[in-house]
Amino acid sequence: MFGGYTEGIIILLCINSIAAMGVSLLTGFTGIFTLGHAGYMALGAYVSSLLIMKAGMPWLAGIFLGGTGAMLVAWLVGIPTLKLMGDYYAIASIGLGEAIRLILENWQSVTRGARGVPGIPPYTTLPVALAFFLVMAFAMFCLINSRYGRAFKACRDDYLAASLLGFNTAKLRVLSLAISGFYCGVAGALLAGFLSFIQPIMFDMIKSTELTSVVVFGGLGSMSGTLIGTGIITLVTELFRPISQYRMLIYGAVIVIIMIFRPEGIMGQKELGKTFFRDLTRRLKPADKRHGGGVKR
Amino acid sequence: METVLQQVINGLSLGSVYALIAVGYSLVYSILLFSNFAHGGFLVIGGYICYFILRSIGGGIWIASLAALMGAGFCAVLTEKLAYKPIRERTNVTLYLLIASMGMSIVIENIFVIIAGGRFRALPPVIPTQPVSLFGIATTSMFDILSLVTAVVFLSGLQIFLTRTKWGLAIRAAAYDLRVAGLMGVNVNRLISIVFFTAGLLAAVGGIFLSVRYTLYPQLGLITIKAFIAAVIGGLGSLPGAVVGSLILGLAEMLTAGFISSQMRDLVVFLLLVITLLIRPTGLFGKDVKEKV
Repeated sequence: MFGGYTEGIIILLCINSIAAMGVSLLTGFTGIFTLGHAGYMALGAYVSSLLIMKAGMPWLAGIFLGGTGAMLVAWLVGIPTLKLMGDYYAIASIGLGEAIRLILENWQSVTRGARGVPGIPPYTTLPVALAFFLVMAFAMFCLINSRYGRAFKACRDDYLAASLLGFNTAKLRVLSLAISGFYCGVAGALLAGFLSFIQPIMFDMIKSTELTSVVVFGGLGSMSGTLIGTGIITLVTELFRPISQYRMLIYGAVIVIIMIFRPEGIMGQKELGKTFFRDLTRRLKPADKRHGGGVKR
Repeated sequence: METVLQQVINGLSLGSVYALIAVGYSLVYSILLFSNFAHGGFLVIGGYICYFILRSIGGGIWIASLAALMGAGFCAVLTEKLAYKPIRERTNVTLYLLIASMGMSIVIENIFVIIAGGRFRALPPVIPTQPVSLFGIATTSMFDILSLVTAVVFLSGLQIFLTRTKWGLAIRAAAYDLRVAGLMGVNVNRLISIVFFTAGLLAAVGGIFLSVRYTLYPQLGLITIKAFIAAVIGGLGSLPGAVVGSLILGLAEMLTAGFISSQMRDLVVFLLLVITLLIRPTGLFGKDVKEKV
């Protein structure tokens, strides 16, 4: 249907979106800032590809087990570390992400260390990636509009008030991390099947930073913003490939500029939906009687 | 026994370099309450300025390091003015500052990738590295002793600045409460500039020593993760904590490298962080801040 290149970009877009949705749930909806989620992607990628290649599992089971493996680790890690707040957790998450990468790099007998795992069967085709993306996006939108989603947001907006209202905030935070670990794990597993080759260095801190900054770019607390942000960043990075030297420079500068001029991201906390378009059309109507068209908060 | 002593000296020397970086980072944290991830960039700026002056202008190490210190200090102030000031004037959400600092760290790293290229560069042999014997008990390199001494000198200098001068008093006051310090007549913007200048200057000292130890490359700034970890272990915002945390980290790293395996050293560092945070979530010297309802 498409050329190989376009197809590749669409697959990459799906994979990045799945990972970004995971981070968005944690950072945007639960208010826990993370800088180590590439570690969970690495776990998903390694668990699934090793299970598929060494244990001869079908790839679908491999992807699910990769995601589940990442989820389990996230859950185990979350119980003790999510007692930490704010910047303490951010630094701890760098440590955890790097620790996962270093373990993969040094556990030579299983992971082949820094040389990476070549020859993974290319199971991530366009329909597979699209199907995973659609199912997981649907599940995520259901989740954030459910009781749990509102509980996560309550944790984000006021941790103390939420716990006074009877929410088990500690448990909710761990749950949010576990789900986001699952999303990142599945994304990692799909990435392994897409590239046919994985290496620990692919999941370093720069990747983690990218995941988080995409979420911030889209708008903290907006899932559709996250998807738009991922789309824009993935496409822009592809467009800038010819001037790859300046790519990362522009990318860094864009993050700073967004933080200065529109720190709430593209979408803020709004979701793309009926109300969003209604607000937009209302704002675009000229000569509104209300004082000042767009009310600034 | 001899190797233990040797590794301890190496560890203290590495830890003291971490301390220079961690103290600056902690200083910024104590005033603005955000993790400045661009701090690693200041270190790289210092290293490259030193390298270019030694290589192309041919100045001595004193001129080169003086220029590196000043240059990194001014770049730190510039970073603050360009990226952080507009944000902190608009909102008090520190998360935005944190993300902007991540952006700045990418920007600084890639400026050097573009103008200097990504390859590893060795500083000319300006800092002596020959082995010295310590009273016949242990041998260590001149470089380790020099970096330890330099770190002690700069850290004492910082201590004197913070305790004996008027601006030092203002900084300590601002660490308690920036707003109240502003209301008491402290010029907050100038104070923040001074803090960033100090942080950049100390980072550059660390940068010069690190680039002699590990050679110089644009991603050298990533090593500040260890200084951040040291600051967190010691308690964010506490300067004695940052120094103690750095020394613990340096010792742990060198002893692991010496007795277990050098591949495990980073893993041990991260484990140390997690364990410390589990036992004392605010770090060793951290202030136990109770949230108000």
